[in-house]
Amino acid sequence: MTRPRGDTLAGAALLVLAVAVAFEARGFRVEFLTDPVGPRAFPWLAALLLGTAGVALLARPAAAAVVWPRVGGWRRLTLATVSFLAYAALLAPLGFVLATTLEVTLLSRAFGGRPWRSVLAAAAFSATLYLAFVYGLALSLPTGTLFTAWSR
Amino acid sequence: MDAILHLADGFAFALQPINLFLAVAGVVIGTVVGLLPGIGPINAIAILIPITFAAGIAPASALILLAGIYYGSQYGNSISTILLNVPGTASAVVTALDGYAMTRQGRAGPALASAAVASFAGGTLSIFGLALLAPALARWAIRFGPAEYFALMLFAFAALSSLAGRHLAKGIAATAFGLLLGTVGLDPHSAVPRFTFGQLKLLDGLDFVVVTIGLFAVSEVLLLLEQTGPGRAAVTSVGRVFMSARELSHTAWTMVRGSVIGFVVGVLPGAGGTIASFVAYAAEERVAGAHGSFGQGDIRGVAAPEAANNAAATGAMIPLLTLGVPGSGTTAVMLGALLGMNVTPGPLLIERSPEIFWGLAASMYIGNLVLLMLNLPLVGIFVRILKLPRWFLFPAVAALSFVAVYAVNNTAFDIVLMAGFGVVGYAMRKTGFPLAPVILALVLGPLMETNLRRALALSGGEWGILFSSPLAVALWALAAASVGLPAVLRRRAAALPPPIGPASE
Repeated sequence: MTRPRGDTLAGAALLVLAVAVAFEARGFRVEFLTDPVGPRAFPWLAALLLGTAGVALLARPAAAAVVWPRVGGWRRLTLATVSFLAYAALLAPLGFVLATTLEVTLLSRAFGGRPWRSVLAAAAFSATLYLAFVYGLALSLPTGTLFTAWSR
Repeated sequence: MDAILHLADGFAFALQPINLFLAVAGVVIGTVVGLLPGIGPINAIAILIPITFAAGIAPASALILLAGIYYGSQYGNSISTILLNVPGTASAVVTALDGYAMTRQGRAGPALASAAVASFAGGTLSIFGLALLAPALARWAIRFGPAEYFALMLFAFAALSSLAGRHLAKGIAATAFGLLLGTVGLDPHSAVPRFTFGQLKLLDGLDFVVVTIGLFAVSEVLLLLEQTGPGRAAVTSVGRVFMSARELSHTAWTMVRGSVIGFVVGVLPGAGGTIASFVAYAAEERVAGAHGSFGQGDIRGVAAPEAANNAAATGAMIPLLTLGVPGSGTTAVMLGALLGMNVTPGPLLIERSPEIFWGLAASMYIGNLVLLMLNLPLVGIFVRILKLPRWFLFPAVAALSFVAVYAVNNTAFDIVLMAGFGVVGYAMRKTGFPLAPVILALVLGPLMETNLRRALALSGGEWGILFSSPLAVALWALAAASVGLPAVLRRRAAALPPPIGPASE
């Protein structure tokens, strides 16, 4: 790709973020006087720094080019990100073991694992994690509301 | 001299067979638990403390077990940081920079060995500091008011600016981003919700584990997905298992400096271990100058923060035991254990019941020693993790990340946040932004803001209070010097004809 694109993009993103932060922070207000600094000062400081850095990057983008992924790479990245969100949504209804098995299988396939090996490894690993965390460390992981609804 | 005698008594107690056994058990359990990403020492101890009491172990022996768990989980954490780039605590974040770079170069063995040796060195040197300086340091630490804390944190940020190398703007942006993330949630001073966008789940703020695992582990998985090939092992060679004599002598002074910095910073209640590891790393990079390859797998970049981190843990005992102020989550849990023993920490503890103070010091030291003896021989086994095929290892890292993030608040919302930070981390790494300052700012930002606001509330809005004590002025000067000096040195180095050493980035 063209040379300065990464820094230019980043600089623009920082500027947008800075403006958004400064705008949102306007409303942080308190009415009493014991706090001379107030809740607005720190967010505004952050916005100021973000904006300054953004301007600096736009003004003098580094010469180093960013190597963006190729088409297949973009596809895998999008798939993985969407699958994380789907995992978050399915965790409660499907329960930890089933949701994690599905997610890990998908990722294993994306990393080039063979179908059956991926499924088996994913199932075994998810079950191990569940046992280790729930019985070993006494943390609670979702069992799956779908199944408890059925069994009732 | 008294101190040495009491310390000897402490050791005599800690070396009884049952206590030694507990130390070993603690280190083993801690290492295994600490290996899990996001489950740092605090979680490990908090989870295991009820078990300790349930087992009916004598309180003093329980402390030894806890010390073992503490060091074990700290080291387990270093293992997943170095091998998989998944730091579980804020203080391990700097270790990831060079530790993971070494792993990618096939030098995971020396990196792990150096972490173990440096941790031991930090623990050893700081115990002497504790024995000799405890009372004096307690008096010094008490003089740290809000203004001094503010200046100290500013110094930590300034020291960190060197990590950004030539991309100062990117380092500042990363720090500002972390400060911003630190303000999310209900403002503790005014109860104004900030950047919560009506989300109740954001009122408590962003948890450090969620942000760190997103920025580091998830972005790593995304980066690896982008350039994937079938069935290869994660790292083709794991190389030597131990450090060479040259690496050991190369890092000896690094460990000493890291220990001193760690101990002194650790005495201050607050985010001692985190500031200590960042400052030690930055200091070491300054010392190395053009001869270092920091950020690209310099073994000193592993040794310095690991030594500092452990030394800070010892230093943190001083405010804990003399002021009753726990300086970190871990010492807070230790305080709980002490109170369970009917020991109330305070200024008179060292004088009235020296055996507790020195017993605890000795048990922490034994935990440290057992860690070295147990884990050094096992480094060869740990690095085998990297021999697992990519299609299994990286999805497994992702699954572990999900568990760790979910366990923080038991909510799937955190997994959505984690995915978001994963994408942000990916973009930051692609465009050359450093990740470590985000975490430091996220952890220190709220403390910095609190101290600033407290200082100004004390002075009634008079900004002069920030420069009112010699200590504060000295810290401001240090901060200014750590930003200004490298620029001057760089200009001078640029004036000389041939620049040696690898270019940064």
